Amino acid sequence: MAKLVVFLTLISLLPLLCNSFSDDKPSDRHILVLLDDFAIKSSHSLFFKSLQSRGFDLDFKLADDPKISLQRYGQYLYDGLILFCPTIERFGGSIDAASILDFVDSGHDLIVAADSNASDLIREIATECGVDFDEDPAALVVDHTGYAIAATEGDHTLIAADGFIKSNVLLGSKKIEAPVLFRGIGHSLNPSNSLVLKVLSASPSAYSANPKSKLTSPPSLTGSSISLVSVVQARNNARILISGSISMFSNRFFRSGVQKAGSPTKHDKSGNEQFLTELSKWVFHERGHLKAVNVRHHKVGEVEEPAIYRINDDLEYSVEIYEWSGTSWKPYVADDVQVQFYMMSPYILKTMSTDGKGHFFTSFKVPDVYGVFQFKVEYQRLGYTSLSLSKQIPVRPFRHNEYERFIPAAYPYYGAAFSMMAGFFVFTAVHLYNKPT
Amino acid sequence: MAKSTSKDAQDLLRALWSAYSATPTNLKIIDLYVIFAVFTALIQVVYMALVGSFPFNSFLSGVLSCVGTAVLAVCLRIQVNKENKEFKDLAPERAFADFVLCNLVLHLVIMNFLG
Repeated sequence: MAKLVVFLTLISLLPLLCNSFSDDKPSDRHILVLLDDFAIKSSHSLFFKSLQSRGFDLDFKLADDPKISLQRYGQYLYDGLILFCPTIERFGGSIDAASILDFVDSGHDLIVAADSNASDLIREIATECGVDFDEDPAALVVDHTGYAIAATEGDHTLIAADGFIKSNVLLGSKKIEAPVLFRGIGHSLNPSNSLVLKVLSASPSAYSANPKSKLTSPPSLTGSSISLVSVVQARNNARILISGSISMFSNRFFRSGVQKAGSPTKHDKSGNEQFLTELSKWVFHERGHLKAVNVRHHKVGEVEEPAIYRINDDLEYSVEIYEWSGTSWKPYVADDVQVQFYMMSPYILKTMSTDGKGHFFTSFKVPDVYGVFQFKVEYQRLGYTSLSLSKQIPVRPFRHNEYERFIPAAYPYYGAAFSMMAGFFVFTAVHLYNKPT
Repeated sequence: MAKSTSKDAQDLLRALWSAYSATPTNLKIIDLYVIFAVFTALIQVVYMALVGSFPFNSFLSGVLSCVGTAVLAVCLRIQVNKENKEFKDLAPERAFADFVLCNLVLHLVIMNFLG
């Protein structure tokens, strides 16, 4: 009897289980963390704990562990990868730079933390992502005006950076008040890569050089063109975070207070935790991930979707767009989503209205041109995954019996033609009966 | 000078009119018919200039029916004119039959093109 009760309970729970599988969740679940040594696991535990508390399953491995691999039997074992191993020269197992780039190319996410004297391997991965670290292995970012005031007067390599990118989707809607502590290597963005973004840039007075040696030649990287933290969103929506400092993720920097040189306010807690937590939410697709469903179009006043439109038809187009909030799909609210009615070039480009519940809609008249058109939505916004929808629809001309039979404007012409005929009859009669004269 | 010019014009018109009065009645009837057709065509052109050329086929057929009628009537007038030596061998009945046939063809075409 007890067995039966257990069985029935399990059976009744089965639909819930199926439901949880079928639900489309873009957030990553399994993340591989590659470390230089296991001390980082405890010294950076606050960052890892925030990930674990958000439901991520972290798998810590040494970067030179011979048994590590990203995929097995052609399937990737992980959804994301964190490289906290700035000095590694060669990964263990089957992993190398090419396999990590393949991992990203197949739509997975990556966090890379470098440091001064970062290895060529890490630099190579960063270069492939459009980020060029300073080539001098001993270089650090130095800022003699924007440094963080420390108990021991240092060499001004501990920077209090507050040059954040202005984007709520990347950094969350809550403003980051405290500056972010940073000690590490600076990088510049490859100008030919349009996908890479500076999230945290250095102040105009910063430069990148070896602080221990005397500065003999002008530094190669100066001012706010130095990026401290950058992100990439690839065209397949894979996201990459590249930081020049591994210590900015550490518990010590998370907890320490910060006072920027020249600023009277002393913050009890640096902005690192908020900055990196929000940014990791973005990288692991807990924010800024859009999906479009229920693309519909029909003639005004009808419900059925026709297989073909006629020129000058009035039609309505609608699409539902949702944003993933980390736990559920929330309606996406924006006033800049546009639809194109496209045949080689957009004949119609209309901004869609929204009801605030994720439903975007508009109506327009099919142009007076027939051919094979497409409804296109190309939505690319900073920080959001790109939406690219297209739906093909043919447009035909009027059928011969769809023209108006009698056009009021043409009545004078009809009248003239008929009066000519009547005049012909009258003239015939008059002409014939007039004959005798 | 101006006075004499207007007097000349009046004289000219009067002379024209008296010369025209000698024309046989059947030719006068044809002339009236031609004037009616041309006038109808002019009205349609003015209407088109005001309203626009939207049902252009209707406009064309309306105007061409008038023009065609006028042309055919002029042809008839040439053929039935007794003073016209070129057609003295052609019987007026034959000329009139040709006129009727051509008109039938013309209006058939116009009706097809009108709608």
